[in-house]
Amino acid sequence: MSAIHLQNLVKRFGAFTALKTMDLSIADGEFMALLGPSGCGKSTTMNMIAGMEAPTEGRILFGERDMTTVPMGRRGVGFVFQNFAIFTHMTVRQNLDYGLRMTRRPKAEIARRTEAMAEMLGLSGMLDRRATGLSVNILQRLAIGRSAMMEPAIFLLDEPLSNVDAAFRAVMRTELKSLQRQFRQTMVYVTHDQLEAMTMADRIAVMDHGVLQQVGTPLEVYNDPANTFVAKFIGSPGMNLLPGRLIHGDGALHVDLGPLGVSAPLPGPLAQAAGRSKREVIYGFRPEGVQLAPDAPLALPLGVTERIGARTILHLGNGDSAVRAVFQASDAVPAEAILRFTPDPTSVRLFEAAGGNAIRGA
Amino acid sequence: MTHPVNSQKDGAGLGFRLTLPAQILVLFIAVFPLLMQLYISLTDWSPLTGATWPQAWQFWNSFANYADLLTDDRLWAALGRTLFIMAVCVPVEFALGLALATLFVDDFPGKRIAYSILIMPMMVVPAVAGYMFFMLFQSGGPVNDILSWFTAEPVAIAWLSAPNLALVAVIAADIWQWTPLMFLILLAGLVGVPDDQLKAAALLGASPLQRFITIVLPRMKVIIIIALAIRSIEAFKIFDTLFIMTGGGPGVATETISIYIYKITTQDLIWGYVAAVALAILIVLSVAAIWAMKRMAR
Repeated sequence: MSAIHLQNLVKRFGAFTALKTMDLSIADGEFMALLGPSGCGKSTTMNMIAGMEAPTEGRILFGERDMTTVPMGRRGVGFVFQNFAIFTHMTVRQNLDYGLRMTRRPKAEIARRTEAMAEMLGLSGMLDRRATGLSVNILQRLAIGRSAMMEPAIFLLDEPLSNVDAAFRAVMRTELKSLQRQFRQTMVYVTHDQLEAMTMADRIAVMDHGVLQQVGTPLEVYNDPANTFVAKFIGSPGMNLLPGRLIHGDGALHVDLGPLGVSAPLPGPLAQAAGRSKREVIYGFRPEGVQLAPDAPLALPLGVTERIGARTILHLGNGDSAVRAVFQASDAVPAEAILRFTPDPTSVRLFEAAGGNAIRGA
Repeated sequence: MTHPVNSQKDGAGLGFRLTLPAQILVLFIAVFPLLMQLYISLTDWSPLTGATWPQAWQFWNSFANYADLLTDDRLWAALGRTLFIMAVCVPVEFALGLALATLFVDDFPGKRIAYSILIMPMMVVPAVAGYMFFMLFQSGGPVNDILSWFTAEPVAIAWLSAPNLALVAVIAADIWQWTPLMFLILLAGLVGVPDDQLKAAALLGASPLQRFITIVLPRMKVIIIIALAIRSIEAFKIFDTLFIMTGGGPGVATETISIYIYKITTQDLIWGYVAAVALAILIVLSVAAIWAMKRMAR
């Protein structure tokens, strides 16, 4: 087991910068998710941790040890590939003990450890089967087991669930999480799926365009996004973001949202942080925090109503002033052409209009 | 639809009748020459007798031709020589082809040009390749010049007129011409080895050699079998390059099966015997090929 420290990590491919000055510390035994859309630099980061790619600048430390120039075979890193990269021309046993055989351990030790690992992963019955035609969850167990046989300090997982159909993902997530508890290993998990990151990770590092946007627990990232990108990316649907301007009225600070109306007074701490009047801001709130009321201050025309089982999503307005509101399926769905609403005061967040960084209350 | 059993039966009969013309054609193309050959091989017929081939029964000699070929030393020597050329050329071409293909998996500056130059020998008409090597191995040719330069004294080896050296020259020409084919086929196989698997193996601590033996070779098995099979069959049939270089000579020193058959067909005109030899080779080769493929596929 080992902590990972990335220091001023930069990766350029020719003129293209895949990763801009990344600083990240992952604690010993922590499950860290690298989350972001494709092309955000998460896979590049992971490949550099594994040693498949060399950083252009910066250092990679495992604990105290500088690993920047250590070749990938000697880093003690377990890597689970997107397609699991199981050696299909071998048996399950040959997959599991591959690393031990290649590093020429004694035969008795290989047999003992292979059987122990198979026992732990529930693969004992199929050790001498060919590793073809196995189901995805067996493949996942086998891929993790094969790496775990080498007792790596660190486990890296590259979107292992992206090829799995949706119905099975929940099973795989649970299994993966329990495997991590068993191995108690530092795990870095790359994904573009925020649900996977939210449900499994201890902390999430959100990335975009080669820049680390925010690091925090799933709840921190959800509740207090550092900027509009994180606000939009986390949550399904993401946070509603409306451009507006701060104004004073009735001795309190409001946000003038133009055609939508003027917001309810900002909560005290947020108003203090927001400061002066007339400032351009972005007014954000979670779709789950929308409250409908006939006398609410904001109004928008109702568009599409999406019913997705347990929840119902209302689409209000469009363009710059699009708002989505999420309700329980059991809630009565309004049918008026113009809906009046206001966000729950605790769900309101403010961001700078320029740059999109969060304005945080004390 | 109402009488599924009947309609199925009718369908099979109809299918057979519809494809009958095609089947007869295939039968004619594939089987007729073989039957004709079998018929002639059981006679002493030759065009010099004045009889046409259907009248060959007049020279019926039962299995005398087959008995003769068992004691035909020249035939057995030619067969041995052919197998020797095959046994040297195919492994050398395989090893060189695989080594080159391994180099070409990764990018390097000038790869495209190197690639084009490398596959050029394959495009050369074998007869022209024969002429090129004929010139190269003349006693006053470039091969001797280069050897002279290395040994710092004049070398004038008569490559193509010394029995053993002529065989060396012929083998060199075959390797030059056909290593590129081996290279191309093996490169296709190498490129098809999944990168993930190689990385996974490396992360599990496998050395480059271990990765090659445990991942690359097993993954390329089918391609390797195909490449070896194609080259073995082709090497067994070696003719044109060799014919231009040595004509099978000096004496019979480079006479292969194909050259031997060519000579007894065009010079000795003993066509009944030629038919027997050709048929025997076909049968032996087919059995050997099927056995080898089955063994390798396991």
